[in-house]
Amino acid sequence: MSYIAAGFGAGIIALAAAFGIGMIGKSATESIARQPEAAGDIRGAMLLTAVFIEGVALIGAIVCIILALGIGQ
Amino acid sequence: MIIEVRRAIASLVILMVFSPALLAENADAQQDGAPIDVMGKVTNHDYFELPWGKVYLPRILYSGGEMYFYSSTERALESGEFIAEEGAGLVRYDGEPITMDLSITSHLIYVWFSLIVTFIITFLAGRKYKRGIGRDIEPKGALLNMFEALFVFIRDQIAKEFIQEDKYEKFVPYLYTIFLAITLMNLFGLLPWAAAATANLTVTATLAFITFLVTQVSGSKDHWRHVFAFPGVPKWALIILTPVEILGLFTKPFALAIRLFANMLSGKIMIVCILGLIFVFTELFGAAIGVASGIFWVLLTVALYFLKALVALIQAYVFTLLSGVFIGMAVEEHHHEHEETSVAHAPDVATQHN
Repeated sequence: MSYIAAGFGAGIIALAAAFGIGMIGKSATESIARQPEAAGDIRGAMLLTAVFIEGVALIGAIVCIILALGIGQ
Repeated sequence: MIIEVRRAIASLVILMVFSPALLAENADAQQDGAPIDVMGKVTNHDYFELPWGKVYLPRILYSGGEMYFYSSTERALESGEFIAEEGAGLVRYDGEPITMDLSITSHLIYVWFSLIVTFIITFLAGRKYKRGIGRDIEPKGALLNMFEALFVFIRDQIAKEFIQEDKYEKFVPYLYTIFLAITLMNLFGLLPWAAAATANLTVTATLAFITFLVTQVSGSKDHWRHVFAFPGVPKWALIILTPVEILGLFTKPFALAIRLFANMLSGKIMIVCILGLIFVFTELFGAAIGVASGIFWVLLTVALYFLKALVALIQAYVFTLLSGVFIGMAVEEHHHEHEETSVAHAPDVATQHN
């Protein structure tokens, strides 16, 4: 049962994180294409936002690992 | 020159393709257990691995009100005071629990290494600056140029960007130190026999805790007002908002620790697992296909290795960047609502930090 939960959890995390980072990449590339001279600033902001999403996704991944390994049961 | 380098890399790749494949054939013969210990490559050990052997590290144990010192785990077992137990490591012979395990472990050695290297680099560069090189004349030599590029990068891209104009200067040394130390710790993980100390949650949690302390100690009055009495919301909303804000103080360093830990842990596991596919293929389809597929897996590993080197730098940058952002959020003073009081606050924030 916990394996199923961990598998589904990891899948949902990957989906959500991919969606979030995809949105960032989309708008960042669009902004750079529109205003190439601001590429440096946009890249910094992009990295910062991507990192926040990554943090949440990794916490979810850790929960999945804990579920799969059966720690705390 | 370029041709020679290319030739050397090509022969290295060929060598790397065949050496695990040869190992795989041996592993086929001896069927006891897994040929590679995947988690053992990243976890903490009581020995320090060198290319030509292992160095056992001292154990310092505190149990039942007494300190025990042994030069290695083996010595601890020989003394008869401790016995090895499956899955739990060492336990006292009479079942008394070990209160504190202060043993020196392999990850700790790597933390020390990187701190010492950080100190030496900074100390040497600092001594040159004192003599006037780099201040009166332009910086000379590789060390000073690299130091200056790194330091200016941290100061301009992280500290100046995210911390208030008049306060960023005192945080630059801290941000610079964690950046260099984490980079070195991460890069140690690229050596085949060594391990990244940041692939240990204890290490990253300690680093995040230091950032937490720096953030809270240097927090301005506005920072605390935002936590306990968020301005501009109705009073009843504070019942929900204050616990969330207090929780937010702790989730920030928690996320910081987990992020660095998970990223550094996954890198080496991935490399070992992909090399392990050679063994899986040998087991399933025989040695010939195992060796042939090895070319593919090793090339994939080389690509992953470069990715890991990149990730090591990016994660150190991200840790420093987020530390800078959190510190910047804490020391910030809002001029828009308390125009006249915020000026009066400025001096006592400076003293608070010292």
